[in-house]
Amino acid sequence: MAGPKKFKKDNDSKKWKKRKKEDDDDYYDDDTNDGMEGDGVPDAAKKNVETAETGVLEDEFGAKDYRPQMDLKTDHSSRPLWVAPNGHIFLESFSPVYKHAHDFLIAISEPVCRPEHIHEYKLTAYSLYAAVSVGLQTHDIIEYLKRLSKTTVPDGIIEFIKLCTLSYGKVKLVLKHNRYFVESPFPEVLQKMLKDPVVQQCRLRRDAAEGEGEGEENVDANGFITTVNDKKNVPQFGANVPKPTPGTSGDSQPAAGADAPLGEPKEGEPVPEDITTFYDKIDKEEEDEDEAVLKTVSFEVNQEKIEVLQKRCIELEHPLLAEYDFRNDTVNPDINIDLKPSAVLRPYQEKSLRKMFGNGRARSGVIVLPCGAGKSLVGVTSCCTVRKRALVLCNSGVSVEQWKQQFKMWSTADDSMICRFTSEAKDKPMGCGILITTYSMITHTQKRSWEAEQTMKWLQEQEWGIMVLDEVHTIPAKMFRRVLTIVQSHCKLGLTATLLREDDKIADLNFLIGPKLYEANWLELQKRGFIARVQCAEVWCPMTPEFYREYLVCKTCKKLLLYVMNPNKFRATQFLIRYHERRGDKTIVFSDNVFALKHYAIKMNKPYIHGPTSQSERIQILQNFKFNPKVNTIFVSKVADTSFDLPEANVLIQISSHGGSRRQEAQRLGRILRAKKGAIAEEYNAFFYTLVSQDTLEMSYSRKRQRFLINQGYAYKVITRLAGMEEEPDLFYGTREDQGQLLQQVLAANDMDAEEERVPGEGPRPGPSGFRRVGNMGSMSGADDAVYYEYRKSILSNIKHPLFKKFRS
Amino acid sequence: MVNVVKGVLVECDQAMKQFLLHLDETMALGCRFIIQNLDDTHLFISADILTTLQSRIDDLMDQVSFPLVEKDA
Repeated sequence: MAGPKKFKKDNDSKKWKKRKKEDDDDYYDDDTNDGMEGDGVPDAAKKNVETAETGVLEDEFGAKDYRPQMDLKTDHSSRPLWVAPNGHIFLESFSPVYKHAHDFLIAISEPVCRPEHIHEYKLTAYSLYAAVSVGLQTHDIIEYLKRLSKTTVPDGIIEFIKLCTLSYGKVKLVLKHNRYFVESPFPEVLQKMLKDPVVQQCRLRRDAAEGEGEGEENVDANGFITTVNDKKNVPQFGANVPKPTPGTSGDSQPAAGADAPLGEPKEGEPVPEDITTFYDKIDKEEEDEDEAVLKTVSFEVNQEKIEVLQKRCIELEHPLLAEYDFRNDTVNPDINIDLKPSAVLRPYQEKSLRKMFGNGRARSGVIVLPCGAGKSLVGVTSCCTVRKRALVLCNSGVSVEQWKQQFKMWSTADDSMICRFTSEAKDKPMGCGILITTYSMITHTQKRSWEAEQTMKWLQEQEWGIMVLDEVHTIPAKMFRRVLTIVQSHCKLGLTATLLREDDKIADLNFLIGPKLYEANWLELQKRGFIARVQCAEVWCPMTPEFYREYLVCKTCKKLLLYVMNPNKFRATQFLIRYHERRGDKTIVFSDNVFALKHYAIKMNKPYIHGPTSQSERIQILQNFKFNPKVNTIFVSKVADTSFDLPEANVLIQISSHGGSRRQEAQRLGRILRAKKGAIAEEYNAFFYTLVSQDTLEMSYSRKRQRFLINQGYAYKVITRLAGMEEEPDLFYGTREDQGQLLQQVLAANDMDAEEERVPGEGPRPGPSGFRRVGNMGSMSGADDAVYYEYRKSILSNIKHPLFKKFRS
Repeated sequence: MVNVVKGVLVECDQAMKQFLLHLDETMALGCRFIIQNLDDTHLFISADILTTLQSRIDDLMDQVSFPLVEKDA
């Protein structure tokens, strides 16, 4: 480094902002119409605590002084939390009551940053909404927060919690016995709602004599059906989950074995009595809220008016939570699938599923688990629990195949029950139980083949029990709304690793699918060996003088090519590949830039995959990578970012990437995150290298990309010099002449080469459309390798050559 | 006639030297300031320009780094 690193804000902050904006406009966000924004979101959800604070002193570093607003409790050292008036909560992860507080905070707030010792969480309207929907009550939230906090809880926060939770979750829309009911434990809320004329219209009155079935149903003076609910049927997942205690499902011990022992305080460290007792209470409530005899009132609603009712309820600030009582659904046939006995759920998978099926009914929502932590098993299990027709939506044809394999691996479903619906594979849908397809297949608007048309028709006519949405963060709201209009399903489960978008449209999902039900802590899973231990490293490669010289004078798009093709980076890549090949590791090298990808791969004589690579060639390369000990390294472009399952790979080298996209970084890390067998002895068993050309724009992109993973608690090691690289014999581009030749090649490359690869389906990139194509006249007019067909079907079929004429026609 | 110019010896890595040469050639600071190009890592430059040059290099560093503390806009 030649100059001191300073962050000067004054003179070029404007420039900064502009550039930042450009980076953020990545083409993952093909959701450009904002017309619908704000629709279907209750008013309370738009409130933000952060803006509510005023008059807080700030020091020169931006630290805020809240002392006048909060009083320290005398026994503060044994309590784990600070609750700041702006909604941020700080948790000491070394506290003896960490486990208690952590479970609680995950339920009520969003994790912001979770490094090793202090975790930061944030209260948002959405997170509180989620808390209510999994069964927490307003006064419990406030009470427990008060007890855990080192200081008094600011009034503003209490008010905010009240505001956000009081109206939420009070009313539920329940499908029971194939009739829709609006249900609530609070009669007064229902009464208030029924005063509204719109709601009244939606109500369906039946004769009291018809009231049949479950429990004691009474119709009271107001016409409410009162149900005394005392079922003890929290579903069990997996056939043989080892239980920590032999107790019934109603035991207060959580079925996930891991969190019980951790809850015990260590000796010598005082835990305030009230925290533990209250924890048990909350825990119990969460586990089996239906355990207690719960009295609910409900009224039936007209099925056709559901949409109207839902909209009206949001306007009334009582959004309906949709729940599906799948056990009592008799109209839709059960499908005969179960989990295989060999499928054992990990504790966190079970925990997430318990949030979903907490009271014996299925809630809609999103489950966030890191890549490689077994999201598909969660999806399969939920389908097996509901046991109704299931629809699985994913991103690509490849992942359709993978989901099918997962179903066959974990459940008793066989080929006849699983139907794939993609452009390549169209199985017969009739009579199958599980349909797996892609988002684009469903939302396709152009003309389809007759077969596909029939399948779509069938799909629209069905009432689906559960809809599983894989990689839910990738779908834009607009597309998702289309899916919802086409598919009728009772509950929706979203699965993702990174609930994160550069355009912050993620909040929409809360109201389109449901609240976030569960989010796993990456570091904790890593510590317990469920995902690989990854060493993240950023390798700084100095630019060679010639390349840097060109870098300074050329225009922006060429700059990318220059810093990716930096000879020192090439040498570092080569060195790392050799180093890991010697160790017997399997390496994937990622490059978004196709020019660089090809050049690197061809020069080093390794196989590569990018967009135009044919399906059969891809499979061949991947098979070789898996089983052939001679193929230890492959080069891939960003087509492999998501849903390429490469369980063998444990080293990832990134030579070029998509600007500052945090999600891409996380997805790529996910490629090597699958737990590695038999490598526990080492401190790290997977390596994630990002190669960065020093003093170029790449440095800033790299910082930007790392934010998400840093917030998950990962630490990046910066390597400025690779030890042993000087001694390594015959690395390429060692001499000035070689480097000069490479530079000539780079400069001769055209603008198209400097672009990142475009993958079909990602939508148009904002900005100027249209390319300047460089080529000769011949290829422009299609003379190179175009094939011409003649279409004259109708005539041909009538006039046949005499030789081919049938005799008695 | 003897001209006396005060100079400063600069030692830097090779890439940074290219940056300085670039500034010199494009007269980005208003004038040429390199007195003698010594070798791969050394330059002899005029002392008058030093402060402007320093701020210029700070700018470059700002461009290639991302502020970790995000300001809420």
